[in-house]
Amino acid sequence: SGVWNFGSLLGLCLITQILTGVFLGMDYTSDISTGFSSVTHIWRDVNYGWLIRNLHGNGASFFFICIYMDIGRGLYYGSYLYKETWNIGVVLLLLVMMTAFVGYVVPWGQMSFWGGTVITNLLSGVPYMGDTLVQWIWGGFSVDNGTLTRFFGFHFLLAFVIGGGTVVHLLFLHETGSNNPGGVNSDGDKISFHPYFSYKDLLGFVIMLLGLTSLGLFSPNLVGDPENFTPGNPLVTPPHIQPEWYFLFGYGILRSIPNKVGGVLGLLFSILVLMVVAILHTSKQRGLTFRPVTQFLFWTLVGDMIILTWIGGMPVEHPYIIIGQIGSVLYFGLFLVLVPLGGWVEN
Amino acid sequence: MASRAPAATGRLLVGFRKWYYNACGFNKFGLMRDDTIMEDSDVKEAIRRLPEPVYNDRMFRIKRALDLSMKQQVLPKDQWTKFEEDFPYLEPYLEEVIREKKEKEEWAKK
Repeated sequence: SGVWNFGSLLGLCLITQILTGVFLGMDYTSDISTGFSSVTHIWRDVNYGWLIRNLHGNGASFFFICIYMDIGRGLYYGSYLYKETWNIGVVLLLLVMMTAFVGYVVPWGQMSFWGGTVITNLLSGVPYMGDTLVQWIWGGFSVDNGTLTRFFGFHFLLAFVIGGGTVVHLLFLHETGSNNPGGVNSDGDKISFHPYFSYKDLLGFVIMLLGLTSLGLFSPNLVGDPENFTPGNPLVTPPHIQPEWYFLFGYGILRSIPNKVGGVLGLLFSILVLMVVAILHTSKQRGLTFRPVTQFLFWTLVGDMIILTWIGGMPVEHPYIIIGQIGSVLYFGLFLVLVPLGGWVEN
Repeated sequence: MASRAPAATGRLLVGFRKWYYNACGFNKFGLMRDDTIMEDSDVKEAIRRLPEPVYNDRMFRIKRALDLSMKQQVLPKDQWTKFEEDFPYLEPYLEEVIREKKEKEEWAKK
């Protein structure tokens, strides 16, 4: 079905980000005194620089839309039972998140600086060597020029690491072949890639590019933060520091736990929990297509993630605190307890 | 009275099982319950031991279901697999495979 298009769409997203990123890199300067103004220069003076930056920034949002949909497909249809492909996929998710995080620091706006400060400070929770680790990452005693130069380098490098990881991901997928909505063995009913899947993927590309250009041309700042139009200033803290929308669910979980190390572990395990899903699979059937009880739990998870995303963007005050805590407990409860229980009941 | 209560409960249970069977939805694709069992190594061996006509019927049902799924369609209602007609054709072979595996493991321990 259409939800199998997100794999190829992710490939298109990666190519788009690399192409636009390489062109942006030709005019960007990774120095705190010129970084922000070089982005302004790209926008105003470079031929079609505004379009390239537009596509790169909003392309990141589409990257995350596609990756969350791909993971959702994997969870719904039991594709995680292709364990090697799935685990490399989780590694790719982590790499994409790291790339997006360091990439957001690059424009050196207020949210770039302060978002970078908040998240890098979380590493101080590591026992014994936490503070040293943070200063090592920073390249100094705070988020400063050393941080910006290396973050730009990491952002460029990680994109190609993701490319390599994608090749390995596909290598393992091609050992088994794709899953299907019925979760049944389709070995007896194969069709050629061309023209069926080439045209199907092409249609997906057209739809996604239509969406990306619509967002970029009609509402380019819809998902952005207005604080990032202000140059980064270590002396002025924004009233509401928050990451981009695709990190808000994790931010909500992080802030729900009233302990620094606990919050960091919650954030980390909110992603790493994906790696235990295959081990906790209890049902005799592969996917949820024919499992109404677990289908309900899946959509509860989707709703919970939407609520956590909303909470991550809200200030840390009543009633958002308790809602976030319930949402976080439900998130882990669904993965670790309720869904395995649902599978066992349905057996 | 006492003899009627278990019969009523039994009828209720069968009614619930029938409702849940239809709610699952695989019957709309003409599949049987055992067609949807995930193929791990035990199930693969059990399938290998199926008599040829049973195996061919299974493959036909699965191919038809894949085709329907691809077209986002289901069978006409009169062709849906009925709760009463569904039978666990794979179960005896699967139980045999699991029993043999356990026996091999016991022997390997000695």
